[in-house]
Amino acid sequence: MNPGPDETATATRLRAQIAAQFGRSLHIRTLDTGSCAVCEQEIRLLSAPHYDLHRLGFFFTPAPRHADLLLVTGPMVRAFTLAARKAYEAMPGPKVVVATGACALGGVYRPDPFVHGTVDAVLPVDVWIPGCPPSPLALLNGLGVAVGRLAEKTPGLTFIAGGDRS
Amino acid sequence: MPLWFIRGLRRGVVTTRYPARPDASATALPTPPAFRPGKLTRELADRMISVCPGPALSRADGNLIFDAGACTACGRCALAAPDAVTPTGEFELATTDRAALVKMIPILGEER
Repeated sequence: MNPGPDETATATRLRAQIAAQFGRSLHIRTLDTGSCAVCEQEIRLLSAPHYDLHRLGFFFTPAPRHADLLLVTGPMVRAFTLAARKAYEAMPGPKVVVATGACALGGVYRPDPFVHGTVDAVLPVDVWIPGCPPSPLALLNGLGVAVGRLAEKTPGLTFIAGGDRS
Repeated sequence: MPLWFIRGLRRGVVTTRYPARPDASATALPTPPAFRPGKLTRELADRMISVCPGPALSRADGNLIFDAGACTACGRCALAAPDAVTPTGEFELATTDRAALVKMIPILGEER
Protein backbone atom coordinates (compact mmCIF):
# COMPACT_ATOMS: atom_id res chain seq x y z
CA MET A 1 0.00 0.00 0.00
CA ASN A 2 1.41 3.34 -1.05
CA PRO A 3 0.85 6.34 1.21
CA GLY A 4 -1.30 9.14 -0.22
CA PRO A 5 -0.33 12.83 -0.14
CA ASP A 6 -2.09 13.33 3.23
CA GLU A 7 -0.21 10.47 4.85
CA THR A 8 3.11 11.66 3.40
CA ALA A 9 2.53 15.19 4.74
CA THR A 10 1.64 13.80 8.16
CA ALA A 11 4.71 11.56 8.15
CA THR A 12 6.96 14.50 7.22
CA ARG A 13 5.46 16.65 9.98
CA LEU A 14 5.78 13.85 12.55
CA ARG A 15 9.36 13.17 11.48
CA ALA A 16 10.29 16.84 11.98
CA GLN A 17 8.55 16.85 15.38
CA ILE A 18 10.35 13.67 16.50
CA ALA A 19 13.71 15.02 15.30
CA ALA A 20 13.11 18.28 17.20
CA GLN A 21 12.32 16.40 20.41
CA PHE A 22 15.11 13.82 20.05
CA GLY A 23 17.50 16.63 19.18
CA ARG A 24 17.43 18.04 22.70
CA SER A 25 17.70 14.94 24.84
CA LEU A 26 17.96 11.34 23.81
CA HIS A 27 18.45 8.30 26.01
CA ILE A 28 20.40 5.35 24.68
CA ARG A 29 20.10 1.73 25.74
CA THR A 30 22.92 -0.48 24.50
CA LEU A 31 22.16 -4.09 23.65
CA ASP A 32 24.97 -6.63 23.26
CA THR A 33 23.73 -9.53 21.13
CA GLY A 34 26.93 -11.53 21.19
CA SER A 35 29.62 -9.04 20.26
CA CYS A 36 33.29 -9.42 21.16
CA ALA A 37 32.94 -6.31 23.44
CA VAL A 38 35.20 -4.04 21.40
CA CYS A 39 32.12 -2.18 20.13
CA GLU A 40 31.16 -1.79 23.81
CA GLN A 41 34.60 -0.37 24.57
CA GLU A 42 34.17 2.23 21.85
CA ILE A 43 30.65 3.04 23.07
CA ARG A 44 32.00 3.42 26.59
CA LEU A 45 34.64 5.86 25.30
CA LEU A 46 31.83 8.18 24.23
CA SER A 47 31.36 9.08 27.91
CA ALA A 48 35.07 9.86 28.32
CA PRO A 49 36.20 13.51 28.48
CA HIS A 50 37.52 13.58 24.91
CA TYR A 51 34.20 12.71 23.27
CA ASP A 52 31.87 13.81 26.09
CA LEU A 53 28.63 12.52 24.60
CA HIS A 54 26.52 14.40 27.14
CA ARG A 55 27.43 17.78 25.63
CA LEU A 56 25.27 16.75 22.62
CA GLY A 57 22.27 15.77 24.74
CA PHE A 58 22.76 11.99 24.52
CA PHE A 59 22.61 9.93 27.70
CA PHE A 60 22.96 6.24 28.49
CA THR A 61 20.21 4.57 30.43
CA PRO A 62 20.24 1.06 31.93
CA ALA A 63 16.53 0.45 31.24
CA PRO A 64 14.86 0.00 27.85
CA ARG A 65 11.69 1.56 29.29
CA HIS A 66 13.57 4.86 29.61
CA ALA A 67 15.29 4.62 26.22
CA ASP A 68 14.59 6.34 22.90
CA LEU A 69 17.37 4.66 20.97
CA LEU A 70 18.50 1.04 21.00
CA LEU A 71 22.19 0.73 20.13
CA VAL A 72 22.60 -2.91 19.10
CA THR A 73 26.00 -4.58 18.74
CA GLY A 74 26.89 -8.14 17.79
CA PRO A 75 25.63 -10.67 15.25
CA MET A 76 22.37 -11.43 17.12
CA VAL A 77 22.87 -14.89 18.58
CA ARG A 78 19.69 -16.96 18.31
CA ALA A 79 19.56 -17.54 22.09
CA PHE A 80 19.12 -13.76 22.46
CA THR A 81 16.23 -13.38 19.99
CA LEU A 82 13.47 -13.25 22.60
CA ALA A 83 15.41 -10.90 24.90
CA ALA A 84 16.13 -8.53 22.00
CA ARG A 85 12.45 -8.48 20.97
CA LYS A 86 11.39 -7.84 24.58
CA ALA A 87 13.90 -5.01 24.99
CA TYR A 88 12.58 -3.44 21.78
CA GLU A 89 8.93 -3.85 22.81
CA ALA A 90 9.63 -2.40 26.27
CA MET A 91 10.83 0.89 24.76
CA PRO A 92 8.24 3.67 24.50
CA GLY A 93 7.61 5.03 21.01
CA PRO A 94 8.86 6.76 18.94
CA LYS A 95 12.02 4.65 19.02
CA VAL A 96 15.10 4.22 16.89
CA VAL A 97 17.17 1.06 16.42
CA VAL A 98 20.82 1.50 15.43
CA ALA A 99 22.84 -1.53 14.28
CA THR A 100 26.47 -0.98 15.26
CA GLY A 101 29.58 -2.66 13.93
CA ALA A 102 30.39 -5.12 11.15
CA CYS A 103 28.88 -8.08 13.08
CA ALA A 104 25.51 -6.36 13.33
CA LEU A 105 25.62 -5.53 9.62
CA GLY A 106 26.36 -9.10 8.52
CA GLY A 107 30.06 -8.69 7.84
CA VAL A 108 31.50 -11.30 10.19
CA TYR A 109 29.12 -14.21 10.87
CA ARG A 110 26.96 -15.93 8.30
CA PRO A 111 23.52 -17.14 9.41
CA ASP A 112 23.88 -20.55 11.05
CA PRO A 113 22.15 -22.52 13.83
CA PHE A 114 23.73 -20.24 16.45
CA VAL A 115 23.51 -16.71 15.06
CA HIS A 116 21.12 -14.79 12.82
CA GLY A 117 24.16 -13.02 11.35
CA THR A 118 22.49 -9.60 11.16
CA VAL A 119 20.50 -7.48 13.59
CA ASP A 120 17.78 -6.69 11.03
CA ALA A 121 16.80 -10.38 11.02
CA VAL A 122 15.12 -9.70 14.38
CA LEU A 123 14.71 -5.94 14.92
CA PRO A 124 13.59 -3.18 12.52
CA VAL A 125 16.88 -1.30 12.07
CA ASP A 126 16.73 2.43 11.23
CA VAL A 127 20.42 3.33 11.06
CA TRP A 128 23.46 1.20 10.24
CA ILE A 129 26.93 2.17 11.53
CA PRO A 130 29.72 0.20 9.80
CA GLY A 131 33.17 -0.34 11.29
CA CYS A 132 35.02 -3.04 13.17
CA PRO A 133 34.76 -1.51 15.68
CA PRO A 134 33.15 1.81 14.70
CA SER A 135 35.32 4.51 16.28
CA PRO A 136 33.69 6.89 18.78
CA LEU A 137 33.70 9.52 16.02
CA ALA A 138 31.83 7.14 13.72
CA LEU A 139 29.36 6.44 16.54
CA LEU A 140 28.82 10.18 17.10
CA ASN A 141 28.21 10.54 13.37
CA GLY A 142 25.75 7.62 13.48
CA LEU A 143 23.86 9.10 16.43
CA GLY A 144 23.70 12.44 14.59
CA VAL A 145 22.30 10.69 11.52
CA ALA A 146 19.81 8.76 13.70
CA VAL A 147 18.29 11.94 15.15
CA GLY A 148 18.44 13.79 11.83
CA ARG A 149 21.05 16.31 12.99
CA LEU A 150 23.74 15.22 10.52
CA ALA A 151 23.32 14.45 6.84
CA GLU A 152 24.50 11.00 5.82
CA LYS A 153 27.42 10.89 3.41
CA THR A 154 27.24 7.28 2.25
CA PRO A 155 24.99 7.70 -0.83
CA GLY A 156 27.54 10.15 -2.26
CA LEU A 157 30.56 7.90 -1.73
CA THR A 158 31.84 5.74 -4.58
CA PHE A 159 34.81 3.98 -2.93
CA ILE A 160 36.71 4.78 -6.10
CA ALA A 161 40.06 6.47 -5.42
CA GLY A 162 40.08 10.20 -6.21
CA GLY A 163 40.54 11.20 -9.85
CA ASP A 164 40.77 7.61 -11.10
CA ARG A 165 37.54 6.89 -12.90
CA SER A 166 38.95 5.33 -16.08
CA MET B 1 47.96 24.32 44.11
CA PRO B 2 48.33 20.89 42.52
CA LEU B 3 50.47 20.79 39.42
CA TRP B 4 47.84 18.94 37.34
CA PHE B 5 45.49 21.90 37.77
CA ILE B 6 47.99 24.36 36.30
CA ARG B 7 48.88 21.90 33.53
CA GLY B 8 45.20 21.48 32.72
CA LEU B 9 44.66 25.24 32.52
CA ARG B 10 47.63 25.63 30.20
CA ARG B 11 46.61 22.86 27.80
CA GLY B 12 42.98 23.92 27.73
CA VAL B 13 39.90 21.87 26.91
CA VAL B 14 40.47 18.27 25.80
CA THR B 15 36.96 17.65 24.50
CA THR B 16 36.66 17.29 20.74
CA ARG B 17 34.52 19.76 18.77
CA TYR B 18 33.26 16.98 16.52
CA PRO B 19 30.71 17.02 14.82
CA ALA B 20 30.81 20.84 14.59
CA ARG B 21 34.49 20.76 13.58
CA PRO B 22 36.70 17.93 12.33
CA ASP B 23 38.65 15.93 14.90
CA ALA B 24 42.43 15.66 14.49
CA SER B 25 42.49 11.95 15.41
CA ALA B 26 40.18 11.06 12.49
CA THR B 27 43.10 10.71 10.07
CA ALA B 28 44.61 7.88 12.14
CA LEU B 29 41.51 5.66 11.97
CA PRO B 30 41.48 2.45 9.94
CA THR B 31 39.08 3.07 7.08
CA PRO B 32 37.54 0.96 4.29
CA PRO B 33 39.39 0.74 0.96
CA ALA B 34 38.96 2.91 -2.12
CA PHE B 35 39.66 1.17 -5.41
CA ARG B 36 41.44 2.35 -8.57
CA PRO B 37 39.43 0.94 -11.50
CA GLY B 38 42.33 1.79 -13.87
CA LYS B 39 44.53 -0.74 -12.06
CA LEU B 40 41.83 -3.22 -11.06
CA THR B 41 42.21 -6.28 -13.28
CA ARG B 42 40.08 -9.37 -12.93
CA GLU B 43 43.05 -11.27 -11.54
CA LEU B 44 43.60 -8.67 -8.80
CA ALA B 45 39.87 -8.60 -8.04
CA ASP B 46 39.81 -12.37 -7.58
CA ARG B 47 42.89 -12.22 -5.38
CA MET B 48 41.28 -9.55 -3.17
CA ILE B 49 38.05 -11.55 -2.94
CA SER B 50 40.02 -14.62 -1.82
CA VAL B 51 41.94 -12.75 0.91
CA CYS B 52 38.88 -10.89 2.24
CA PRO B 53 38.02 -12.53 5.57
CA GLY B 54 34.34 -11.61 5.36
CA PRO B 55 31.66 -11.28 2.68
CA ALA B 56 32.63 -7.66 1.89
CA LEU B 57 33.98 -8.36 -1.61
CA SER B 58 32.38 -10.31 -4.44
CA ARG B 59 32.27 -10.17 -8.21
CA ALA B 60 29.30 -10.00 -10.61
CA ASP B 61 28.80 -8.84 -14.21
CA GLY B 62 32.26 -7.31 -14.68
CA ASN B 63 32.03 -5.39 -11.42
CA LEU B 64 33.70 -5.79 -8.07
CA ILE B 65 30.92 -5.48 -5.51
CA PHE B 66 32.10 -3.88 -2.29
CA ASP B 67 29.88 -3.94 0.79
CA ALA B 68 31.29 -1.23 3.06
CA GLY B 69 28.94 -2.39 5.84
CA ALA B 70 30.56 -5.81 5.92
CA CYS B 71 34.10 -4.41 5.67
CA THR B 72 36.19 -4.57 8.83
CA ALA B 73 38.93 -2.31 7.38
CA CYS B 74 41.50 -5.06 8.05
CA GLY B 75 43.63 -3.93 5.08
CA ARG B 76 44.24 -7.40 3.59
CA CYS B 77 43.00 -6.34 0.14
CA ALA B 78 45.41 -3.38 0.26
CA LEU B 79 48.27 -5.80 1.05
CA ALA B 80 47.22 -8.16 -1.75
CA ALA B 81 46.89 -5.38 -4.35
CA PRO B 82 48.75 -2.28 -3.14
CA ASP B 83 48.47 -0.53 -6.54
CA ALA B 84 44.72 -0.91 -6.87
CA VAL B 85 43.67 -0.11 -3.29
CA THR B 86 44.14 2.86 -0.95
CA PRO B 87 42.37 3.71 2.31
CA THR B 88 39.39 6.04 1.82
CA GLY B 89 40.02 7.96 5.03
CA GLU B 90 36.24 8.04 5.35
CA PHE B 91 34.75 7.09 8.72
CA GLU B 92 31.38 8.88 8.52
CA LEU B 93 29.59 5.90 6.98
CA ALA B 94 26.41 5.75 9.07
CA THR B 95 23.37 5.38 6.85
CA THR B 96 19.60 4.95 6.98
CA ASP B 97 19.71 2.72 3.89
CA ARG B 98 21.67 -0.53 4.16
CA ALA B 99 21.78 -0.91 0.36
CA ALA B 100 23.61 2.44 0.07
CA LEU B 101 26.69 0.79 1.60
CA VAL B 102 27.00 -1.68 -1.30
CA LYS B 103 29.01 -0.16 -4.16
CA MET B 104 29.91 -1.39 -7.65
CA ILE B 105 33.53 -0.95 -8.79
CA PRO B 106 34.12 -1.52 -12.54
CA ILE B 107 36.86 -4.07 -13.33
CA LEU B 108 39.39 -3.12 -16.02
CA GLY B 109 38.49 -4.46 -19.47
CA GLU B 110 35.11 -5.82 -18.40
CA GLU B 111 32.89 -2.72 -18.66
CA ARG B 112 29.40 -3.30 -19.95
